[in-house]
Amino acid sequence: MIAYNKIWLTSLRLQNDVKENQNRGYITAEEFKNIKDKYPVGFYTPGLFARIGLFILTIIVVTFADGILSLLFASASNLFDTAGWVFFLSILSYTALEVIVSSKHHYRSGVDDALLFISALLSGVASAMLFSHYNVVYYMPVSATIFILSLYFTIRFADMLMAALCGAALFAFIYFGWTKLVPFGIATIPFVIMLVSAGLYWGSYNLNRQKQFAGYYNCILIAQIIFLLGLYTAGNYYVVQTLGDNISDQAGKPIPLGTFFWLWTMLIPLVYLGWGIFKKNTVLLRMGLVLIAAAIATFRYYYHVLPLDMVLTMGGALILGIAYTAMRYLKTPKHGFTYAEPDTGHMMDHLKVESLIVAETFAKVPSPPAEERSRFGGGDFGGGGSSSSY
Amino acid sequence: MDSLYEHLHADGLISDESFEKIKQKQNLFSVHWEIKTLLYLGVLLLTSGLGLLIYENIDTIGHKVVLALIALICTGCFAYCFKMALPFTTEKVKSPNTSSDYVLLLGSVSFLTFIGYLQYEYKAFGTNYNMATLIPMLVLFFTAYYFDHLGILNMAIANLAVWMGVSVTPKALLLNSGFDSKTIIYTYLVLGAILLTGAYLTQRLNFKRHFKFSYQHYGVHVTFISLLAGYFFYYNSAFALLWMLALFAIAFLIYLDAFKSHSFYFLLLVVLYGYVAISSLVVRMLLLAQDEGALYLLMLYFIGSAIGLIFLLINLNKRLKAS
Repeated sequence: MIAYNKIWLTSLRLQNDVKENQNRGYITAEEFKNIKDKYPVGFYTPGLFARIGLFILTIIVVTFADGILSLLFASASNLFDTAGWVFFLSILSYTALEVIVSSKHHYRSGVDDALLFISALLSGVASAMLFSHYNVVYYMPVSATIFILSLYFTIRFADMLMAALCGAALFAFIYFGWTKLVPFGIATIPFVIMLVSAGLYWGSYNLNRQKQFAGYYNCILIAQIIFLLGLYTAGNYYVVQTLGDNISDQAGKPIPLGTFFWLWTMLIPLVYLGWGIFKKNTVLLRMGLVLIAAAIATFRYYYHVLPLDMVLTMGGALILGIAYTAMRYLKTPKHGFTYAEPDTGHMMDHLKVESLIVAETFAKVPSPPAEERSRFGGGDFGGGGSSSSY
Repeated sequence: MDSLYEHLHADGLISDESFEKIKQKQNLFSVHWEIKTLLYLGVLLLTSGLGLLIYENIDTIGHKVVLALIALICTGCFAYCFKMALPFTTEKVKSPNTSSDYVLLLGSVSFLTFIGYLQYEYKAFGTNYNMATLIPMLVLFFTAYYFDHLGILNMAIANLAVWMGVSVTPKALLLNSGFDSKTIIYTYLVLGAILLTGAYLTQRLNFKRHFKFSYQHYGVHVTFISLLAGYFFYYNSAFALLWMLALFAIAFLIYLDAFKSHSFYFLLLVVLYGYVAISSLVVRMLLLAQDEGALYLLMLYFIGSAIGLIFLLINLNKRLKAS
């Protein structure tokens, strides 16, 4: 099962939980230290930036090592572009990963992240090479293999990226398999995906409340996001129509059951949002907010009721109004909701991420239309920025 | 989870008092980040919408209304912020409430839109384009310092770059690869020097010390990139070596400073930019050999050096934590 030391993983979760309570002032620093000594964690886990640096450097090492191996052994015997050779390289990375994890106790150190990433990438490429024949890729076996591989990596290393890949590959497999094997597959595929993702979400929801899967908490959370996304996308009007067009080669034709899909497009985000508020579930709440934007974008694609500038202005004013109302309403905590900052120290504060985003998005003010830009001469005042990207 | 704390309590790891506190604690659901994101999105949409509106309706009577609306938003926001702001100090000042940060942001961005439009339509600053970018920049710097707003400081730094004729935002730095002209390289170099000096002075004079990160972040990237660009620009002349020497000197200074201020981020940047510089020298030497064996040597160099750097980073991380 999981490759990392299980006792340390449990102790790490315990320490994190206690640390959070210490930040809130429920537990003294001395108590935290005693608990830390009683439940030690022996992993090598450096900070975020060390992790990024080690990730980049490990990628460099493996890339050049694979390059030199291919040059020495494979190029002479035409092995180089076979699936077997790529798979062999993947196994090499995987072996290194297992060794690093078991003997050096690396845990989310950047080195193990990079080796896992490369193993998954190379084995995925190998399976794509195996199941393609003169530029024809057989998507069904490819997605099935990637699903199995990423499921294995997820179970073995509890990695969130692998969990996301696993969920996506599963949907791809169902899509390609159903449309290929089942008669009227393309007409029924939205409903199949809906049923599967709803079932999987329900299953994962229950799974995450069980103690023995605590080590996979974050993976299951990521999978839930993928399932909710799949559930919505399967019934989104634009997606359904585009996929239908691809098969029938008739662009822009209204789809059967159009009303149903329009309702789905518009209502599901609200259902997520409402359910998220009711259940106090962050994943549902945030998915609801993001998908409302998707619903509006879909609607505007078909019906141009207002010019873009008006939509942006009114939408912005509306959002500010909603946020302001919510803040006023939650000035004192109500119904278990609060507006106050969570006490858990936020990782992003290290890099002051918010201020960097502000600079990136607002650095260039909305500027005159493109053909007039030359008036500003060498000052490079225009350049598009936010105004032209919409 | 409560059984966990009962367990810890029974083991004597948690005092009775702390255990009581944990039992009493309310698990409130915080929507802090959701609301902050909404505020940010609202400001972004509103300002870009208004920015489009005035230019699209330029020949109709409506654009005067839009212009008045922008001016109104701008003055309203600044009036609110001046009223609410806590007195100015050289230390970090907490903003009076969360929404005031975004009110200030809305005010500043609409001010930029307003100035840009005045210049476009009425030539308010004549043909002196320097003035048209200088004034917004000064206003942004003043706003950032007076109200203690990191986001606006970053906007001001970006506008400083615009005033000098270049750009510092990561996207523009990566995409506008205009590093093939002497003027641009030297402009970036001067900008980087200004920002690094700014970072140094911020700490030295103890004036808004928490602003140091922003200056240093942009300063380090811009300086290293322009020094590398300079090296490649003068690749075939002896002058190239001077750029490399300057790069290593700067790298050493930032290395010392990163240790002093316990910042692994800057340590990592020094290591990675330094690695790029050393590697480009090594590649150059090996290419001189013009031999097939050189290719193998090159690959071996990258494998060996990257492994070495991995140990270096692990070691540096340890030392930084210990110190």
